[in-house]
Amino acid sequence: MTQARAITLNALSLYAVALVLAAAYAAQFIVHELPCPLCLLQRILFAALAVGPILNIRFGPRPSHYAMSLLAAVAGAAASTRQVLLHILPGDAGYGSALLGYHYYTWALIGFIAAIILIAAVMLFDRQFEDDGAVLPATGGIFAQIAVWLVIMLTVANVVTTLLECGFGACADNPLVYEMLERAA
Amino acid sequence: MEFTLLFLATAIVMVIAWRGPRPLALGLFGAVLIACVATYLHHATDTLKLSF
Repeated sequence: MTQARAITLNALSLYAVALVLAAAYAAQFIVHELPCPLCLLQRILFAALAVGPILNIRFGPRPSHYAMSLLAAVAGAAASTRQVLLHILPGDAGYGSALLGYHYYTWALIGFIAAIILIAAVMLFDRQFEDDGAVLPATGGIFAQIAVWLVIMLTVANVVTTLLECGFGACADNPLVYEMLERAA
Repeated sequence: MEFTLLFLATAIVMVIAWRGPRPLALGLFGAVLIACVATYLHHATDTLKLSF
């Protein structure tokens, strides 16, 4: 795999992270289900997955950048596994609604495991780590730049919505209202 | 509040990774990841009702 192909793949992975963050927003705003503290932590770790690809696009692919995403994916898998285990007993309806038979935290666990496998698979291609002399577009080209700013904007949007949901105190275990909006009303 | 700060820190790390020095981005990413694990451990106090 050439450096240029690896950078395109990294840009695609950023679009995948953006899709996950947008899907979480769809559940929050369309189904009106506010994320619980563990759900928020999983969102943060999905966003953290994006830092490795951003560095790969800017500085070129390096094993250390992939390792950063792997660490974020492992932490995310641990958090989502805990939430799956919290609701695993028969008779437990789980937290929130289900999508295609699985709750969002189960989808998150599948997503983090898929990320671990895909990152490991991409790291098998050693040629991306060698300078092949190809002239790469500055900061990955427009396709990659849009991906980077999309993920950054979605993460900044989460700063605002999380502040509205939790306010300046601790987030509720089972949030039903936006604390800040409730206080202002 | 801690989740708002973690989102904010992650966004800052992303901007530094895109525009700032690489060592700073790596260091801040490590700090954010440690903060995430600490937050997880702080919140993971409910007993898992499992009996293996």
